[in-house]
Amino acid sequence: MSQTPLVAMIDIEKHFGGIRAVDHVSVDLHEGEVVGLLGHNGAGKSCLMRILSGAMAPSGGEIRIKGEAVHFSEPNDARDMGVETIYQTLALADHLDAPANLFLGRELKTRFGNLDDKAMLKAAREVLARLNPNFKNLHDPVSSLSGGQRQVIAIARAIYFDTKVLIMDEPTAALGPSETAMVAGLIKELRSAGIGIFLVSHDIHDVFDLCDRVVVMNKGRLVGSHHIDEVSKDDVLSLIVKGELPADWSARNLKAAQ
Amino acid sequence: MSDATKSSKTFDVGDLIPGGAYIHRLSALMTLLLLVVGFALSSQAFFSINNGLTILLQTSVIGLLGIGMTMVIITGGIDLSVGSVLALSGVVSALAVKAGLPVVPAMGCGVLAGAACGAFNGLVITRLRIPPFVATLGMMLIARGLALQITGAVPISGLGNAFGILGNGALFRMVEMRPNGFPKVIFPGIPYPAILLLIVAIAGAYLLHRRQIGRHIIATGSNEEASRLSGVRVDRTKLYAYTISGALAGLAGNVLMSRLVTAQPSEGVMYELDAIAAAVIGGASLSGGVGTISGTMIGAFIIGILRNGLNMSGVSAFIQQIVIGLVVIGAVWIDQIRNRP
Repeated sequence: MSQTPLVAMIDIEKHFGGIRAVDHVSVDLHEGEVVGLLGHNGAGKSCLMRILSGAMAPSGGEIRIKGEAVHFSEPNDARDMGVETIYQTLALADHLDAPANLFLGRELKTRFGNLDDKAMLKAAREVLARLNPNFKNLHDPVSSLSGGQRQVIAIARAIYFDTKVLIMDEPTAALGPSETAMVAGLIKELRSAGIGIFLVSHDIHDVFDLCDRVVVMNKGRLVGSHHIDEVSKDDVLSLIVKGELPADWSARNLKAAQ
Repeated sequence: MSDATKSSKTFDVGDLIPGGAYIHRLSALMTLLLLVVGFALSSQAFFSINNGLTILLQTSVIGLLGIGMTMVIITGGIDLSVGSVLALSGVVSALAVKAGLPVVPAMGCGVLAGAACGAFNGLVITRLRIPPFVATLGMMLIARGLALQITGAVPISGLGNAFGILGNGALFRMVEMRPNGFPKVIFPGIPYPAILLLIVAIAGAYLLHRRQIGRHIIATGSNEEASRLSGVRVDRTKLYAYTISGALAGLAGNVLMSRLVTAQPSEGVMYELDAIAAAVIGGASLSGGVGTISGTMIGAFIIGILRNGLNMSGVSAFIQQIVIGLVVIGAVWIDQIRNRP
């Protein structure tokens, strides 16, 4: 891991008045790595990810993409650098159909600057079919679709474009078992394609199944960043709840080697 | 098997929604036809070419305001200032004519003044974070006050024949000179305001459905935060919608003042409510994300025909207000039924 990290967030701070939502946090993410971001509600993990996705400006600190310092003042800036986000709320416009949502903010246009609905429909059909072969009703407003279909649109939107970094905020919260398995498969596929993924989750089992590394936040501070082999679920729970590892902790993989 | 039932179920659900929107438009259109038939039966004079053209003329002002209002309502906002902006724009145009400008650039000044008022609305709403209702209520007073102040509350008349062409002229007007020296109108022609309305309506529908800004207007009204996160420049989109609404109010003001060949600073009071009613009757939702130009046109004509027909049948202006009020409530009620799960 000596190469330049894909994303380096250095000494990030965010405060609202006197409250420190993110307190001097530094994390990095490498190509083809899945990093699980864990913590209580209000631990600052969503806030940190909103900063990386350009939805929120940090009060201090620096973000580097491939070693290059960047400044995101709106979500478009982050997307231009290949940082895509799947929000927990999905961020879909309910009255528009699936292709319109998929291309929202970066619509395809014809030579005359008109919307190219035909091209958008075609592209949407392809990418949605890849994620869910049963997805047929592309002309319906997304408000009439099922939770799983809506999630699929949000995922498709994040992976269709030239994605380098993917932030997934609770991607499986609204999904049934088969769809969750689909998302897990997708994460593995994206990882082998060299995309770096931040997986924000409450579900510690998901994180252990899918992630290479786990980062834990507690009260706005970063309290632990460990390779998944080093820690047990109990260790991580202790980090989440108490903000520190058990007193007698030593790296699990080293212990096993002894 | 399970796949088949699943897909057929989602198909049904999906089929209902556009069907609902379609039904709303259809019911509005049916109302329009019923009104025409009803009034035609009750009054001989109603169903004539001349009266039809009068309706076209009267509706064009509400229609123009309604198109801008539809854009604003789709973003989830409201524009209460259009009636006052209409008066201010007409006054500005008239003053420009009085200052010696030819009619066309003078009217351009009026439309620009309207656009400036709209842009001011947009900036107050997006920069100062003032709710649209309050911001445009303020502009309603500001524009009216300005119009009255710069004219001293006195109508500006004597604007010349050229100023009246936009409001009173007509295309394909056929006049035959009779041997006794008096002209006889064979076909009164299509009034310019109606042609203008048609052009603006087509342009508005094109903007809303075929251009990126139109899609962003719908997305902003549908889910503002989601649109922002998706990279839609929400503030710019709103600014655009309010500026269009202001500019169209300016255009409507010029049409109206041209028809009167007099700039009345007190003209256009309560017109904003007619425009809102037209949009709502046409299916626009005040919570944003929904609305069409064609629907608003139907709505504008329902109001126009209702006014005209009730007038022809000798119903008092007070009763007319009651009837239009009930129609607005009825239209929204139908909309509620449509959206009920």
